[in-house]
Amino acid sequence: MASRHFTEAVGTHLQSDSRENKEEKGGHDGSDDDSTASSYSNTGSGFSDDLEPEWLDDVQKNGELFYLELSEGEEEALFAQVTASQSAATNHVRFSDKEVEIITESGKKQADSSNKSEAKFKKFAKILRRRQSSKRIAVNRKEGGAPQRPTSILKNQAGQQPGVVVHQQRLKDVYVYLNPKRLCSSSPPSPEKGGLLEALLGVVHRPGGNAGKRGEKLTIHALVPHSPASKCADILIGDVLVAVDDVDVTSENIERVLSCIPGPTQVRLTFETVGPVERCVYSRLKPSPPVSQLVRLLWGEDTVELQMSIAHIPHILMYLSLKLDSESPQEEQEILYQYPVSESSVQLKAVRGIFLTLCDMLENVTGGQIVSSSLLLRNQLVHVGYWKEGSNLLVLGVPASRVPLLYLQTVIEGVVRTLKVMYGSLDSAFCEMENGSRLDHFFCLFFQQLIQPSHLIDSSRPPTPDISGTLFLDGLPAVRWLTLPADIKVEVDTVLSDFESSDFGDMSEDFYGMRRLYVILGSCLFYKGYLIANHLPKEDLLDVCLYCQHYCLLPLASEERVGQLVVWREVFPQQRAQPSPACHPGHCEPHGRYFLLIVGLQHFMQCVLLESGGCASPALGSPGPDCVYVDQVKATLLQLESLDAGIEERLCAPPTPCLSCADWFLPAGGRDRQDAVGTSPILNRLTAAIKPPSPGSIGRNLFGELGSGLRGRRPSPQRSLSDSGSEGHVEGTGPFTSGLSPFATPDTVRRTPSSGTRRDSLGSGGSDGSGGNAGFFKIPRLKHPNPFYLGSLKKSLTERETEEMHNVLKLTAGAENTLFHYVLMETVQGIFIAPTHKEVHQLSGSIHPQLIQNFYRCCLSIRHVFQQSLPTRDRRGSERPQSTRGLGPVKEHGVLFQCKPENWTDQKKPAPMMTYWVIGRMLLEPVPQEFYVCFHDSVAEVPVEMAFRLSFGLAV
Amino acid sequence: MLQAEALQLLCLTASSGVPLFSRGSSKQLPFSIIGSLNGVHMFGAGHGAQLSSCETEHGSRVVWRVFQESLMLIAVSGGGGSAISELQLRRLLENVWNCMVMVLGQDELANIRNVERLKREVRSCYHLIDMLLERINDGQGMMGYLTQCADCVPLSNSGRVQETLDSFTQAADSEFGCLVVHGRVAHATEKWWSRLAPQEVVVLLALVYSLSGTSSCDYPVFLPQGSPTVAIRLLCFQLLPGVQVCVLCGPKPSLYQAGKELLSRFWSPLLETLRGCLEQTDRSILPPSVNLRWDVQALLLINRESRRAITVCPRVRGGASANATPLLSSARRLELLTHFYTFAVTRYFTSEDVSPASPASEPAPEDFSQGFTHVPVQCYLVTDECKCYGLQSPQHQLYLLTDLSVPTFALRSVATQTLSAITAATGF
Repeated sequence: MASRHFTEAVGTHLQSDSRENKEEKGGHDGSDDDSTASSYSNTGSGFSDDLEPEWLDDVQKNGELFYLELSEGEEEALFAQVTASQSAATNHVRFSDKEVEIITESGKKQADSSNKSEAKFKKFAKILRRRQSSKRIAVNRKEGGAPQRPTSILKNQAGQQPGVVVHQQRLKDVYVYLNPKRLCSSSPPSPEKGGLLEALLGVVHRPGGNAGKRGEKLTIHALVPHSPASKCADILIGDVLVAVDDVDVTSENIERVLSCIPGPTQVRLTFETVGPVERCVYSRLKPSPPVSQLVRLLWGEDTVELQMSIAHIPHILMYLSLKLDSESPQEEQEILYQYPVSESSVQLKAVRGIFLTLCDMLENVTGGQIVSSSLLLRNQLVHVGYWKEGSNLLVLGVPASRVPLLYLQTVIEGVVRTLKVMYGSLDSAFCEMENGSRLDHFFCLFFQQLIQPSHLIDSSRPPTPDISGTLFLDGLPAVRWLTLPADIKVEVDTVLSDFESSDFGDMSEDFYGMRRLYVILGSCLFYKGYLIANHLPKEDLLDVCLYCQHYCLLPLASEERVGQLVVWREVFPQQRAQPSPACHPGHCEPHGRYFLLIVGLQHFMQCVLLESGGCASPALGSPGPDCVYVDQVKATLLQLESLDAGIEERLCAPPTPCLSCADWFLPAGGRDRQDAVGTSPILNRLTAAIKPPSPGSIGRNLFGELGSGLRGRRPSPQRSLSDSGSEGHVEGTGPFTSGLSPFATPDTVRRTPSSGTRRDSLGSGGSDGSGGNAGFFKIPRLKHPNPFYLGSLKKSLTERETEEMHNVLKLTAGAENTLFHYVLMETVQGIFIAPTHKEVHQLSGSIHPQLIQNFYRCCLSIRHVFQQSLPTRDRRGSERPQSTRGLGPVKEHGVLFQCKPENWTDQKKPAPMMTYWVIGRMLLEPVPQEFYVCFHDSVAEVPVEMAFRLSFGLAV
Repeated sequence: MLQAEALQLLCLTASSGVPLFSRGSSKQLPFSIIGSLNGVHMFGAGHGAQLSSCETEHGSRVVWRVFQESLMLIAVSGGGGSAISELQLRRLLENVWNCMVMVLGQDELANIRNVERLKREVRSCYHLIDMLLERINDGQGMMGYLTQCADCVPLSNSGRVQETLDSFTQAADSEFGCLVVHGRVAHATEKWWSRLAPQEVVVLLALVYSLSGTSSCDYPVFLPQGSPTVAIRLLCFQLLPGVQVCVLCGPKPSLYQAGKELLSRFWSPLLETLRGCLEQTDRSILPPSVNLRWDVQALLLINRESRRAITVCPRVRGGASANATPLLSSARRLELLTHFYTFAVTRYFTSEDVSPASPASEPAPEDFSQGFTHVPVQCYLVTDECKCYGLQSPQHQLYLLTDLSVPTFALRSVATQTLSAITAATGF
């Protein structure tokens, strides 16, 4: 559900209205938590001025909550982008003004109606508030950002420029996607409740005083939240619905017309609108700022449009029943659930008979469950994956261009596990009516991530992971881990442990002598999408992470500053749901219920797994989020916020282990070279390459005992160099930095080696720290700015230093650093490390992104080989007899790639070639690990050595 | 229920679904299953979705393919220990179709007038089809059915034999002549390589191999791509047990004439040489001049230009140290080689699969290697049994199986040395 920051009251009466509603609701529900909660929240959260947390309205009936609010900076930036594309912002003003008035009226009308409609109205008012606030910002921008009371702006504008407003009756067409199947078929919507108009379309029309009058105009008085009409931003309060698919409608025939819609379809609604038809309003939707695309999807807006954009790509997810009731044959009765209900899936849906027959027949013929099939659809190869659960069959069809066959299995296992974590079982997910719209949202996200991940993530940000990369990293049974300096790590762990002890002081239940509501089983902490601390068992961590991945919470936290994120839902951790085979005498697992609480603030996100039942009081019904726990998590995060700088420093620190960019290994074409050298990026690359000895936070940690010269450089000059590239000299950096300041031309860089200091350091040999100090930045005499200094650097260091640098900073042997990319997965811990996005971004060249894309695609293949050689487990959990199948167990697999620069213009000389290895290795001893590495071909490497070196620095 | 490792081949008419035959080692599938397998595909085709393959969790597979819109071939494999890959099944279907065309001609198969008559006629292909089915996993070292390259055996003293073959072919009024040793091509005329499609060579060799018991024969064949509707004559003579010479020719000369006059004139002086060659190939496929490293367990070398392949699976170790691990059984080595070839070709290397015969409408299996932005040129695998190394150059593909004792980092140089040693010695 959407919510945006709301600082100033837009319509005071509105807000107070909604407050009253909230309180009424609280009283109505009569839940104890609610009353205690509201009293807590005031004291507990130091940052919310409201009496109640903002997210309280969004809690759904079943207690679930997904509340996302961008921070103000992001919002403003977002709307600034919008305003830039809008020419006639004044038009909004009038509209908004009008809306407010309409609301007031309808609010009064509804004041004496039932509680239920009040709740509805409250939500509606909030939507309006949001809309209002967005427009306010838009106006503010136009006015130069002067903060004024928005209402006054509205009034003034309307008064001052009446000419701008076109008071014309105009018609506009709006396309809305309707699905009559979502309606509960048991009880047809009664006319008193607004009939189909309200139930199906989500338009509230209250026949005014002259009710009964025939053929009344269908003025829109309100919109039902989450309805098709409200999701489509083009339908505004006050519009008059005049036609549905060119059939003229009035209050008399509307119900009949709507009831004629047979199945899910898109209809064209024609509205008569009082104001000018504002294209600009819609333009906010269409070329919407890419940053917000993901957020908008999470908010549940605008799914139809995104769905349309992939309509040409065949994809489907169906949950089919294998048991056919032959007595009452109904059309499509075997389809328990289907997504999407659009043209993209029509063909695949039509051939569902194939899937059912194959599933049934192959089990009879071969004795094994079908796992996949391939078919050609409109000259497009489509892979279909199967998952049989009881007497039902989950079918997932995706184009081969997006998901290679050898990874389809991992994808489908991921979906099934996520659904099981969220709903307990596939049957409970798909067979309960009320889940319909939630699943639609779930699979909309799923297919968007699978088919057009780049649409969700802003392309201007660090290299967007291509589909292979996303597939591979998401498919790993592990979470991306960020190694932190020990001091920060300890602090983070301490803070988390403090929280997990549930010692909330006067906020805790103990204080009031009550039984605890929940036991905190553990929590994990993410920073910008990297896991930085985990106190959860591996399987629980993976469950939690699957949920986060699915809802894109990890990229979200890394890309945008989240104002506030609160997620609450009951989950069914897979490890806990299954009865553990190993029975400890005298111990039995408590049969509790589990709840997942995710709270995000800025770039931090904490996931907490709570248990009720067991030693806490059993949960009754579907409890909503408890304010105390939410506030405690928030407090924890606020406590951690001070560490922000430290972690950020680690992220900005040059990559450890050191990485190279593929482009450096190709002699660039003459012209290109000039360009490249002239720009500062090459300097950044240089620093990134030289950087290893620089005291980044990790380096600090490891080099802490080194000479004083090292300590002196702690302020991390490299960071500012490689990061901003525009800052001047940094204190305490010695001659090196001055030589390599961003303003220096490449020539100075080249010349610096000849300077006296450097030559001295050559001789110093680095007997102690001070020697090492100078030696670190010794640059060998080279004709070209060669970034690979490390080899000679090593010589000038003491043995021990060399040893350490070797272990941590540079994985490859030989004079040059040849490592391009790596992924190390610790199977036991469920974590993996890979270069951070920032590190990858720093190395941006023309070939390097391709290389990384290739790397991930190759990893898909390598991992598939490993998977096959592992003792395979049946889906039913029983271990299959291990057979020497195919190639047998594979321990190591490597592929050598060859690449040439694109657009090689020089016809006389053959294009230069660069070859690199992508090697994967699976280690079972001493700890199970999978290790993927990509390095230049120049050195014969023993990957296992690299693996150990890499895992050396990985302390969890 | 289909047993593990069983393989069934079904053939039905595409339009009506009448079963023509069903071959395979195991018990025939019940008719209802055959009907559903066909029905599923037909149903999909009616809805614009062409089913191409499916797989179960134990590695069983079903592959469908319709040829010339008249015949449907379905391969069903049971999973289990050595699961048959999709590539193998696809190649099998293609080879079976080519065999049927070679024997019966394309007209007969593409325009079915009388199903019952066709059923009877197709019986003449059974021995070839059964051979193809057996060859999927028989460990005889014939990889041509999979690689679509002619299996070759390079002879050491090749000059004279080649000359003789050329003049013999010329005397038989033909341009296509071939000397076959144990089902592998020892020599062939230039036109044989340049004008015949590799798929044709593969099925022709299968036919010649199946005729190896007869001293001479005259067999009308259709060339699936070169001449699918007009039959030409395949004359085939046995020179020595295991050595055959064959020519593709027109109406002349008669079998009697060729056998009586030409055979003795050209080949009698060479019989001793050939006998020597035969003995040598019994010992090793490679001529003795090639020094293979002792730790090479097996190799497959493909010449990508001429579409020829050599499969080497040494029987004994030459110069192995005493404490060297014993060789794997040759069947297992060939199986591993087959798997490794399939693995490398489906994922990284370009498979030599550009057959102009298969129409564009045929479902192409997913080409994983297409997704790479850079060209994969080499790859290796380290398993519990051996190490595999594959490399691809514009002219060659080499697939090498070595002992575990070879250090991984040395694999590459072992492979390149082996490649250059073989090409230098045989000019392959």
